[in-house]
Order: sequence, then structure tokens, then C-alpha cells
Amino acid sequence: MSASQSAVRSRAEAVAVSRTFDWMILFTLFTAVLGGYHIHYMLTGGDWDFWSDWKDRRLWVTVAPIVSITFPAAVQAMLWYRYRLPVGATICVLALLLGEWINRYMNFWGWTYFPVNFCFPSNLMPGAIVLDVILMLGGSMTLTAVVGGLAWGLLFYPGNWPIIAPLHVPVEYNGMMFTLADLQGYHYVRTGTPEYIRMVEKGTLRTFGKDVAPVSAFFSGFVSVIIYFLWHFFGKWFNKTDFISGENV
Amino acid sequence: MAATTESVRADAAEAPLLNKTNLIAGFMLYLVFYSFIRWYEGVYGWSAGLDSFAPEFETYWMNMLYIELVLEVIISAALWGYIWKSRDRKVMSITPREELRRHFTHWTWLVMYGWAIYWGASYFTEQDGTWHQTIVRDTDFTPSHIIEFYLSYPIYIITGVSAFLYAKTRLPTYNEGLHLMYLVAVIGPFMILPNVGLNEWGHTFWFMEELFVAPLHYGFVFFGWAALAIMGVVNTEVMAITKLLKKDLA
Repeated sequence: MSASQSAVRSRAEAVAVSRTFDWMILFTLFTAVLGGYHIHYMLTGGDWDFWSDWKDRRLWVTVAPIVSITFPAAVQAMLWYRYRLPVGATICVLALLLGEWINRYMNFWGWTYFPVNFCFPSNLMPGAIVLDVILMLGGSMTLTAVVGGLAWGLLFYPGNWPIIAPLHVPVEYNGMMFTLADLQGYHYVRTGTPEYIRMVEKGTLRTFGKDVAPVSAFFSGFVSVIIYFLWHFFGKWFNKTDFISGENV
Repeated sequence: MAATTESVRADAAEAPLLNKTNLIAGFMLYLVFYSFIRWYEGVYGWSAGLDSFAPEFETYWMNMLYIELVLEVIISAALWGYIWKSRDRKVMSITPREELRRHFTHWTWLVMYGWAIYWGASYFTEQDGTWHQTIVRDTDFTPSHIIEFYLSYPIYIITGVSAFLYAKTRLPTYNEGLHLMYLVAVIGPFMILPNVGLNEWGHTFWFMEELFVAPLHYGFVFFGWAALAIMGVVNTEVMAITKLLKKDLA
């Protein structure tokens, strides 16, 4: 290849080529992250995300943010430090939510007939936007981990509150009092229905009554800070452009 | 003047940098095929997929499994064999324009890889969750598994390895060795398929119910992380393409 030769015929063609690559790269990055993030999230926090009767005040609030801050931290490590694009967390969450919504509608509803108001995904957008804004304004991974990670955990429940609140009102049914979400689960029997499988509202924290969700969110935020650090470094590792020789494989 | 006319004619006859027909046809191939598969699941999942001991299960599901396994072996051998056999043995002496054209073809493969990963890791994997929440499994080869594990996963593996082989055999960028993150991006998601062995082994012992967050499933999670290695591939590609375009974009 001669370095003096040009790959394009004009500046206009160079610009067009560059833009076309942008779209192809964006599509591939979006779908690959969607696949990896979705399989990670559905198998580490999925049961709490699938069903409204798992969306409790304690374990959903604790588990979902902790396991979901992973990919946003890793993709931020790429898009910010290499390209100065403060959209890593937002892209991850948009991809995840797109994959989830397609699935809940096409398969949970379309194949196995669970109503969408029983199997809608959790909302992670507020935390993602805050994570990206903090990185953009601060330009610091440490600040983003500590402030953004904590905010990621704390914002999860408020971000979902308008959606879940109507399903957390109490109802009395056959002499038992439980939530409307529990009633949905009672009528839509699944292999995950038995109480030895369903992990909700367990433990003595329940005795604190109304304080369960804030305490859980605070703990979740604390662990999210640590997970952010860890996954930021994972992200940096995945950004490598190294070559190895065939002998090492 | 004559030389200019010749040059214009040569340009007009030259293959386009990006073959949009291939890109759109590839995208539509996966979309139409998987739409058909989803229709098949909808019809024969309920009518013939509930009891693995029923004769109709053999007809509609086990036969599908046998056919897809045979086709996957044939297609992967033919495709990978073709890409390898038709490799460019003078890859370092191609013109910059030809290199740019090959980067576009390479990105067409990568777009297909991302698209195939979406279908496999997102669409059909979470779909498996709702099927097993609904129907208690009585076999390792449930309708959702026959599609998810033995169809959608092999398809993204075939696509990913093809992309890797194309890059390795036709692009100067990848001539200096094996790109570590490219290997991770292809081999990691591939390892999800062997991990099915652990999954089925565990379900045979322990679970009839479905708990998607069960530790038995964490092997899938670990290998799913490897999809992030696409970032390393993107970085290398951005550097290579920038090198080709830089002076024209300045």
C-alpha cells in the first residue's frame, strides 16, 4: 500500500464515508451491548425485573441497581475516555430497555399471554442520565463512581415509583391482605410463583415499615459505587487494541 | 482528455465502497428468518411443544432440531472454508481504496454479528424465561431451547467467526497478529453454547421451576460480558479508518 495514495476521491466522499462508518459502528455497538447487557441483567436481576409481584420494597430496590450499573460503567470507560462522548450509560440503558420492551410485548404477552402491566421492565433512565451528566460535568471517574454510583442506587426507586405505586396499594382477598401486585401474581401462576422461590419482603428490615425502601436504596447505592469502580476497569480492559502472536493462543 | 475519460469510465465500473444491497439483504435475511421462527414457535409451541413424549413433539420439534444442527454444520463449514480458501495472500500490497472497501465489507459482517447477537442473547434468551415460567420442562430439548441454544446461538457464532476470518484474511490492519479483543468478542459469546452443557446438567438435577437469577445460570452471564470486547474492535477499526481518511478530512 502506498501512503501517498488516497483512499477517497474528494473531501465530500471522505465525509460521507466517515458518516456511514459512524452509523455502522453505532448499530453494532448498540446491538452487541444490548445482547451482552440484557443476558447479564436478566440472569442476575431478571426475576425482579420480569414480574410486578417481585418488585418489592426491599430486594428489587437492592438488587436491580447493583447488577445494572455494570455495563454503563464499562461503556462510559470507552466512550468518554476515548471519544469524549458522555452518553455511555444512556446508550446502555436505552439498548437494554429496547430489548426488554420488545421481549415483554412480543414474548411475555405475545407468546405466553402475561399482561404487560404485570411484566413491564424496570425504569433505569433517570440514573443513567445522572451518571452521564456527572461524568460530563466532572470529567472524573472517581467523582462519577462515588456521586453517580450513589445516585444510581438512590434514584432507582423514585424513578419507578410512578409506575409501581398503583400496584403497591393494599387489597384484601379471601381474608388475606396483600398488594395488588401480589394479587396479579396469585392469578398468573408461574413456575416461579412458590414462596420458596419468590424472593420478596424477606427479613427483619420489614419491621421498619415505611423505611424499608430508602434503607435498601441507600445500601444499593453504596454497593453500586464499588461495582462502578470495578466495571470501569473492566471497561478499560475491554478497550484494549493489543495484538498477540499465534503462539500464545 | 482521453486519459480522463478512461479514468471516469473506470470509476463508473468500479465496485461501490459499500455494497448496500448486501447490507440490506443480510439485515433482512435475519429479520425475515427469525420472524418465521417466531411464528413457528407461536403455532407449534402450544400445539405440539408441551409434552416431549408425544409423537407430535418428535414431528415438529425434534425433527426441527436435527435439521437445524445438520444445516449449521454444513453452512459453517462452507462459509468459513470459502473465506479461508479465497484469502488474499498479498494483503499488504492492496491500494488504500481497496482497503477502505474491505473495511466496509468487514463492517457489513460486524453489523450482522451485532444483529445476530441481539436475536440470540436478547430476544430468544429472555423469551426462554417466559416459556419456562409457563410450562414445566420435561426435557432438555424444550421448544424454546431448540430455538435459543441450538439455532440462534450457532447463528451468531457462525456470523462472528466469519467476521473474524474476513478481517484476518483480507485486512492489513489484522495482519500483525491475533487481535486480543476480537478473539474475546467472538470466543466469549461462543462459550455460551458449551455452557449449555452445565445448564442442562444442573436443571436435570435441581430445577423444574424457573429461577432466572439462579447461580446455575451465571456461566451465561460471565461469557455474555465478552460482548463488551466489541469496544476493542471498534477502537482498532476507528484508528485504521482514521488513518485512511485523515488527510482528506483535515
